[in-house]
Amino acid sequence: MSERINRLQIPMEELTITPGSACQGCGAALAARLVFKAIGPNAIRHRIPCCPDSTTAHPSANSVFESGGAMLTGTWRGLKAIGRTDVQVVGFFGDGGTYDIGFQSLSAAAERNENIWVITKDNEAYMNTGNQRSGATPIFARTSTTPVGSVIKGKQMRKKKIAKIFAAHGIPYIATTSVGYPEDLIAKINYGKTVEGFKMLIIQSPCPVGWRYDGSKTIAMARLGVQTGIWPLFEIIDGEKFKLNYKPRELKPVTEYLKPQARFRHLTDENISLIQEDTAKEWETLLKSDELGRVLL
Amino acid sequence: MIGIRIHGRGGQGAVTASRLLADASFRDGKFSQAIPMYGTERRGAPLVAYVRIDDVRVRERELVHEPDVVIVLDPLLSKEQSVASGLKKGGLLILNSKLPPEKVEIAGDIKIATVDATKIALETLKRPITNTAILGAFSKSVGYPTMESIEKSIRKQFPGRVGEMNIAAIHRSYEEVTPVVQATHTEPVVEESDIAVGGYGVLKDVSSWRVFTPIIDLDKCTGCRSCWLFCPETAIQWKDDRPEIEYHKCKGCGICVEECPVKCIAFERVVV
Ligand SMILES: Cc1ncc(C[n+]2csc(CCOP(=O)(O)OP(=O)(O)O)c2C)c(N)n1
Ligand code: SF4
Ligand code: SF4
Ligand code: SF4
Ligand SMILES: [Mg+2]
Repeated sequence: MSERINRLQIPMEELTITPGSACQGCGAALAARLVFKAIGPNAIRHRIPCCPDSTTAHPSANSVFESGGAMLTGTWRGLKAIGRTDVQVVGFFGDGGTYDIGFQSLSAAAERNENIWVITKDNEAYMNTGNQRSGATPIFARTSTTPVGSVIKGKQMRKKKIAKIFAAHGIPYIATTSVGYPEDLIAKINYGKTVEGFKMLIIQSPCPVGWRYDGSKTIAMARLGVQTGIWPLFEIIDGEKFKLNYKPRELKPVTEYLKPQARFRHLTDENISLIQEDTAKEWETLLKSDELGRVLL
Repeated sequence: MIGIRIHGRGGQGAVTASRLLADASFRDGKFSQAIPMYGTERRGAPLVAYVRIDDVRVRERELVHEPDVVIVLDPLLSKEQSVASGLKKGGLLILNSKLPPEKVEIAGDIKIATVDATKIALETLKRPITNTAILGAFSKSVGYPTMESIEKSIRKQFPGRVGEMNIAAIHRSYEEVTPVVQATHTEPVVEESDIAVGGYGVLKDVSSWRVFTPIIDLDKCTGCRSCWLFCPETAIQWKDDRPEIEYHKCKGCGICVEECPVKCIAFERVVV
């Protein structure tokens, strides 16, 4: 499991080449910055189509959504063949890539337990192309493909529990984290760097444009997601061992997270209670898992 | 027919402005067309949109390469791009600027009118979204669309309270826009730089993306590193155990201002 670090242990070196072309206040741009600080320079970073987060000083190639897992696999096998097993192979992908379009090749790479990183900046929609819903979009959120009409208001399906889906592949390490908790994020990368095999990190990365809030509130929004239990921080080892990393005595009500985001502006009281119930139920399962030290579905 | 090019930044609503202009003109009995130019339009990144207005059906489908009117929604864009590029002789430039038109350093046989649309937007909408604020200035300087039609288009686009706030903004810009004057600098427009829209990769200087600028009061700073840690653009460097802002990297997102636990980072509108 990851070992807690404090702020003074966060590496000073910046691997990102800035300023980049992300929007003002982009959570994903910060996610990339923090991730690669911890990964360090000895890495190859691959991309598939997504928003321009932050460019980093790593060798990098771009491919299509569908072959993210294959590209990372090939890179790792090549490094192994030439004896450079010291190099980290990292895919830094969007949620559309991980949850939906690129899922099959990632699932296959997870099944083969390739020695790679798959890091997902989860902004809960296809943002680069103008906020279309993805499998990561939460229920009732308004996107350009789940608009608020007179009959149907926002997305009608729940967000996929992607961490548990990948955990079910039995991979050595998967964790969720958030740009609002950089110490947690970096501690998890530090741990993952010691693990051989398929490693995954899902990072909550608020998007002021798609979620429709003021860009200065990106960190506040990330923290509220965690403090309301909507975005729990946990880690799962070998598809089994479980730890909940953030356990407040009491969760904040979900409205504190939902209300400031205009993508949820149309929610009725019933919608909100459904989200509150879902969150409470999942939280209970997570607490129980934490107690047992073993993940429950 | 007149062709219009609108320069703005992602988030300022250039595309909405183009639609509102076209919609209001149509309500006045004209034919019209709005063309958004989609790049990777990140919030803050430069982008353009086009409009055509005519008394007969508009058959053209290409971009407006030689506009009769250019609207600039952002006061700093003209420092970054040749906004008057392609503007016809005798054409009109409507600039969001605090400066009177005589002080505007854009040259050519063109006319200029200015209005401080950012101030109007901040006062009426409480946000620096200048797209509607400038439409009143357009109506006054060009003579159409009528304010009644712009109001109707705005009410359709933004029902309720938001619409009324935007309508207050157009009336203020109608009142506050300067008279149209001949450009003081007369040499013809020579810059031939492309009209760039935002893209991927690394940029040199994003100072002009800012509406507000963070300024750290080092006397009050406790050295907690929050601002450094959360800046997405690494604009805050850590030097001698103190933060230092590299302003060419700062997009003015306000995260550092929000995250400073002792509130020692001011956020000020820099006068340009
Ligand atoms: C197979 C395929 N479908 C669609 C696209 C168009 N496309 C490019 S980027 C993108 C959005 C990606 O969304 P996500 O992975 O969540 O990353 P984000 O843009 O949100 O950072 C889409 C749909 C594509 N490139 N390939
Ligand atoms: S759309 Fe959202 S995720 Fe994409 S660059 Fe802008 S803020 Fe970042
Ligand atoms: S305003 Fe945003 S970009 Fe500028 S220094 Fe602060 S956090 Fe960084
Ligand atoms: S957040 Fe405020 S107190 Fe902390 S280092 Fe930055 S300026 Fe100083
Ligand atoms: Mg996404």
